[in-house]
Amino acid sequence: MLFFSYFKDLVGQEVTVELKNDLAIRGTLHSVDQYLNIKLENTRVVDQDKFPHMLSVRNCFIRGSVVRYVQLPPDGVDVDLLHDAARREARGA
Amino acid sequence: MVVGLREFALRTGDGSPALDESSGEELMHVQPSVAVALGDRSVESPGTLYITSRKLIWLSDADVAKGYAVDFLSISLHAVSRDPQTYSSPCIYTQIEVVEDEDEEDEDEEESNGVLDLSKIREMRLVPSDSTQLDTLFDVFCECAELNPEPIEEEGEEENGHNWVFSADQMVVGGGGEEDAEWQISQSPTSVIGHSNGDESIAQPMLELQINDQRFDDAEEMVHENETKDH
Repeated sequence: MLFFSYFKDLVGQEVTVELKNDLAIRGTLHSVDQYLNIKLENTRVVDQDKFPHMLSVRNCFIRGSVVRYVQLPPDGVDVDLLHDAARREARGA
Repeated sequence: MVVGLREFALRTGDGSPALDESSGEELMHVQPSVAVALGDRSVESPGTLYITSRKLIWLSDADVAKGYAVDFLSISLHAVSRDPQTYSSPCIYTQIEVVEDEDEEDEDEEESNGVLDLSKIREMRLVPSDSTQLDTLFDVFCECAELNPEPIEEEGEEENGHNWVFSADQMVVGGGGEEDAEWQISQSPTSVIGHSNGDESIAQPMLELQINDQRFDDAEEMVHENETKDH
């Protein structure tokens, strides 16, 4: 549940979601659920030439299981806090 | 579970699709007068869109033998597409997960010999004639996606947590304080190779081997038994 809680705190921030099919979508994180399904708003595609069909899309729902990476704003991450939380989670605390 | 888009033609007496009630599949929403466009192909219509708790089904109104279905487990992404310059009508745009075929040279090849391979379709657009329904359709898609999380093979996902997150102390195999002892190499010439953990009886055979066995002597020189050797 760690990353679910973490992403909930990031709602409203700009993120880039990279899918396993190499599509990268930048947008505002609207919401996330326990499966890490992601809803983005104000989306724009990073590599528009490869995925022209996404140009007309402004809001989308991305299935959690197809996400490869979520790129976060550098000042949106407290690395030490996340590091400690992950370590605690690993220990089953 | 079938990955990707497939044909679907099982209809009940009233023309609606036959559902798998034994697995609890329910009809969530019906949208009449919806056209479908697969990949780069032109739009097919008229048809009716049936959204169940497990999958999307589009059935042609004109041809009772024609219909398509895709499980929500295979729908990677869905969105409302409204830009008239990109696509003529507002629609629900979806991306479909496809089984990757390593032998394929041309990834966009959907038709070979004129026969459309549905399982290779990566994008699908659903164009309702009533475009005010788009937001409702989008919301139903979201709801159904949430009803279809990835199936879990092993039990207790929540109990065990993520097994890909672990800390440095968990890396040690057979851990404990004795590890340091194994790595000490004593410099004393009469010491044994390695280090026994307090059980001196093990040490004896090793000591004898080192001193008495001439197989370990250097070939050219005849070295006396009592001389210091660095083994």
